Amino acid sequence: MWNEVRGLRDGIDYGTPPRDGKPVTLTVDGVEVTVPEGSSVMLAATEAERAVPKLCATDMLESFGSCRVCLVEIEGQRGYPASCTTLVAPGMVVQTQSDRLATLRKGVMELYLSDFPESEIPDGWSEFHRTLEEIGITGHRYGKGQNHFGLPVDDSNPYFLFDPAKCIVCSRCVRACAEVQGTFALTIEGRGFESKVAASQGESFMESECVSCGACVQACPSHALVEKSLFPGGYERAKST
Amino acid sequence: MTTDDNRPAVSGDVIDMKHLIVMANQIGDFFASYPPKRAREGLRNHLRINWDPRMRNALLAHIDSGGDGLDVNVIDAVQLLRKAADKSGYYGPPQA
Amino acid sequence: MPNPRKPEKETITICAYCGVGCGFKAETIGNEIVRMTPWKEGKANHGHSCIKGRFAYDYWCHPDRIKTPMIRDSIDEPWQEVSWDEAFTHAASELKRIQGKYGRSSVGGVSSSRCTNEEIFLTTKLVRAVFGNNNIDNCARICHSPTQFGLSATVGAGAASQHFDSILQADVIMVVGANPTEGHPVFGSMMKRRIRQGAKLIVIDPRRTETVDSPHCRADVHLALRPGTNVAILNSIAHVIVRENRHDEEFIKSRCEWQEFEHWAELVGSEEYSPDNIGPIAGVDPEDIRRAARMYSSGPNSTIYYGLGVTEHSQGSTGVMCLGNLGLACGMFGREGVGVNPLRGQGNVQGGSCLGSWPHVFSGYRFVTDDATRESFEADWGVELDSEPGLRLPNMFDAALTGHFKGMYIMGEDPVQSDPNQNHIIAAFREMECVIVHDLFLNETSKYAHVFLPGSSSLEKDGTFTGAERRIGRVRQVVEPLAGYQDWEVTVKLMNAMGYDVEYAHAGEVLEELARLTPAYSGASFELLDRVGSAQWPVNTAAPEGTEVLHTEQFPRANGLGTFMLTGFVPTRERVSEQFPLLLTTGRILTQYNVGTQTRRTANSQWHPEDVLEMTFDDMQMRGLSNGDSVTITSRFGSTQLKVVESVRVNPGVIYTTFHHAETKANVVTSDLSDWATNCPEYKVTAVEVAKVISPDAQHAEASVKRSAPRERDVEEVR
Repeated sequence: MWNEVRGLRDGIDYGTPPRDGKPVTLTVDGVEVTVPEGSSVMLAATEAERAVPKLCATDMLESFGSCRVCLVEIEGQRGYPASCTTLVAPGMVVQTQSDRLATLRKGVMELYLSDFPESEIPDGWSEFHRTLEEIGITGHRYGKGQNHFGLPVDDSNPYFLFDPAKCIVCSRCVRACAEVQGTFALTIEGRGFESKVAASQGESFMESECVSCGACVQACPSHALVEKSLFPGGYERAKST
Repeated sequence: MTTDDNRPAVSGDVIDMKHLIVMANQIGDFFASYPPKRAREGLRNHLRINWDPRMRNALLAHIDSGGDGLDVNVIDAVQLLRKAADKSGYYGPPQA
Repeated sequence: MPNPRKPEKETITICAYCGVGCGFKAETIGNEIVRMTPWKEGKANHGHSCIKGRFAYDYWCHPDRIKTPMIRDSIDEPWQEVSWDEAFTHAASELKRIQGKYGRSSVGGVSSSRCTNEEIFLTTKLVRAVFGNNNIDNCARICHSPTQFGLSATVGAGAASQHFDSILQADVIMVVGANPTEGHPVFGSMMKRRIRQGAKLIVIDPRRTETVDSPHCRADVHLALRPGTNVAILNSIAHVIVRENRHDEEFIKSRCEWQEFEHWAELVGSEEYSPDNIGPIAGVDPEDIRRAARMYSSGPNSTIYYGLGVTEHSQGSTGVMCLGNLGLACGMFGREGVGVNPLRGQGNVQGGSCLGSWPHVFSGYRFVTDDATRESFEADWGVELDSEPGLRLPNMFDAALTGHFKGMYIMGEDPVQSDPNQNHIIAAFREMECVIVHDLFLNETSKYAHVFLPGSSSLEKDGTFTGAERRIGRVRQVVEPLAGYQDWEVTVKLMNAMGYDVEYAHAGEVLEELARLTPAYSGASFELLDRVGSAQWPVNTAAPEGTEVLHTEQFPRANGLGTFMLTGFVPTRERVSEQFPLLLTTGRILTQYNVGTQTRRTANSQWHPEDVLEMTFDDMQMRGLSNGDSVTITSRFGSTQLKVVESVRVNPGVIYTTFHHAETKANVVTSDLSDWATNCPEYKVTAVEVAKVISPDAQHAEASVKRSAPRERDVEEVR
């Protein structure tokens, strides 16, 4: 019906949209919690105050499952399923923390960090920075390798800019433009390491079909898309070491 | 505060008679779909609730001097205002 | 600093722009607004926003802001800066002098739909209790006054029957004369979400707008009707519904006046309104009319959203009645996913309507002629009040030209730019002796003003707004008012200067007073809104936290039943002719807001730096025009210049422009015709001709446009 919009709360990000449906009871880290049918395990964990770290998930958008940070262990299931794409089932027993999970999450975050401007880590306050703290990462084991720091900043729009150096290709902006705004101006161009956010046919934001609604800026977890007004002296590209 | 007296220091119609005639005829056109009695009362009620009394009086004065340009059904309806002109009170359709 | 600065404080408030009324968090560092982010708990927007509310807020501190009151004896003199006290004293004495000389009804006021409910209410009090007349109007006069009239007549309430979320339960969405993707973007996104989920879309609009065709969202039926034929088309749709027995007889028998339905069914069921007859008149395929009718009546949940393309016509009120009639005939009222909903444009125009900023009603839509209502106001305000209706805004200008109207208090409106037939309005202002403009910036109207009182933006004040879905929400002060006062304080001081003693410690006390005097708002208070966020009226003892859907059990008419109004099609008097063979219609664009007072002073102008004229290739070629040419557009009333662009969005014979820039002077061209019931101007239909501007510098001097060669076209009339 409409819990996906009406169930949203300021100050809490459930990770995936709230649902309407019959109540389902499950256990997360020993805490019993009841959520509507169709909810994700991630949402149930947030309700149980056992929130799972995440990057590509946010409750204004349908789950995507690309970042591999929100992994959990579910009794009776093999492997480490992503909690955002896994739906709750009655009697499910979920563990959000374990040594193995910690190692997996650290591994994923180190990979992200290896392609993120290091000089921007201290004093950062984006979701990405908070997730790094949550998982307990400050550095990575990789030397200097291929990265995206050389891609140009798109500051064609008078109100916000896009710095691909900070982009973690979580696709939240693409999904926000599609699901929330309905303009479908953004896409991910290329594959694998070449993947990058593109507006329309690889044009600048200003030239594209973008209507400057700001949904992508709102969705971006790493301040790659960010309001220009937060940089009173103008935007300075981070120096990568 | 304000003066008690509402007598205008200016004579003449409060708005150009051409406009009043067009407006009155337009209202008449709407009520033309209704049977005659309801049409007349509908038009009368509309003017009573919505028009500044100076506009109503100007229209009545115009009718007195021939009513040039006004549709016949409009003239009949506006005449009904004479009976009600002094009465204040509820004339319109029920409201929220 | 590579990392963005972090805001220190968040204040939850409502967007200053359109009637969606998005909830925003104004994030500040000290007295500087560093960004506006959409509030996830805003019940109108659920965490989404558009370019205007999200980014275009800098106008509040634009250098053009006037911070000191100014006066002058004649409009040909320069402005003199004065203190607030001097300005109030001067304005008060002028208004009193004028009333002494020309009579009590020679002054009036107009309130602003971008000001709060408290401010609008105080403006009505200024005119009623202090000026002693009912010459008070609001900008809804020129946009949604037919909504007020038409929906009150059919269902008893001139407001949206649903809340926005209700569209998520609709199966068929009919959009008439509106372009939500541009005019109400956040609601437009919600609508598209539902359409992607499978709901069907019918659009009735002369243009192929973004609403008709956008990614993953295409209208199932688009009736691209000729401007001026709304009532004909809507009656034709009703014809199909009634003739094919698709109406909801059970609903009509239990919830409506059956006899009126029979009269109406006879009218619309007549041959005159058959699709085969109306199709050619409106320029629409008769089969499409039938498809639209069958789709709408089948539902199961069909909802109507409409805008100024319905109201801004000489049959505006009739058009709205047609929509009310259709909703009632098909039983589409009183539950989720249905209803008839005006998309009210301005942030607080619904508030203006509710609070009696009209010459013929007090707040709560109660007639000034009604003794009981008037006496309750007289008791509360302590003065005798005028028992006769006053002048509507267009009639105030007419009365100025005959010397009967001489003084005006204009809060947050720019009639010279926004009202039709500009030359007429300018002439009217020139006749007035005291024009008081209370606004943020100097504007077209202030050129003819004698007193300028600096206003405050919604970021600088406390109060409430009522959005298009009847939602009353809190506007909270984010920064200090640049000129020193919140707008409501200025109105109070003007009242005091004129001898009416009243004071309010804060805006919440004004809300208490208006709640006392307005039944639908009786439960509203700052305390309630702080607790629940927002509430849709009626909010009273029966519904302490507001009412989401109207008409669930009764229609608010005397007998509780809905009724059918007889909506005969009366073609507009505005006809095309040999001299003016094209029909001009107007609209809005996403990035600019109305006359651009706010948005032109932000970077939004980068998207829409000028208004352009859209014409079809054929119409352009016939006149020797190329894309980007400067053209003169002329009507019976005046002419102006615009740039023309080729467009596939309009049909041949129809041209389109926006009205956001003062330089465009679009309203020099628009006609003096208006809605029969409310005088809402017929902006949407003007007969014009377009010709190329011959620039004296042109290197290749083209001979005059090829109008000398006789054209093959027949002279057309809009029936």
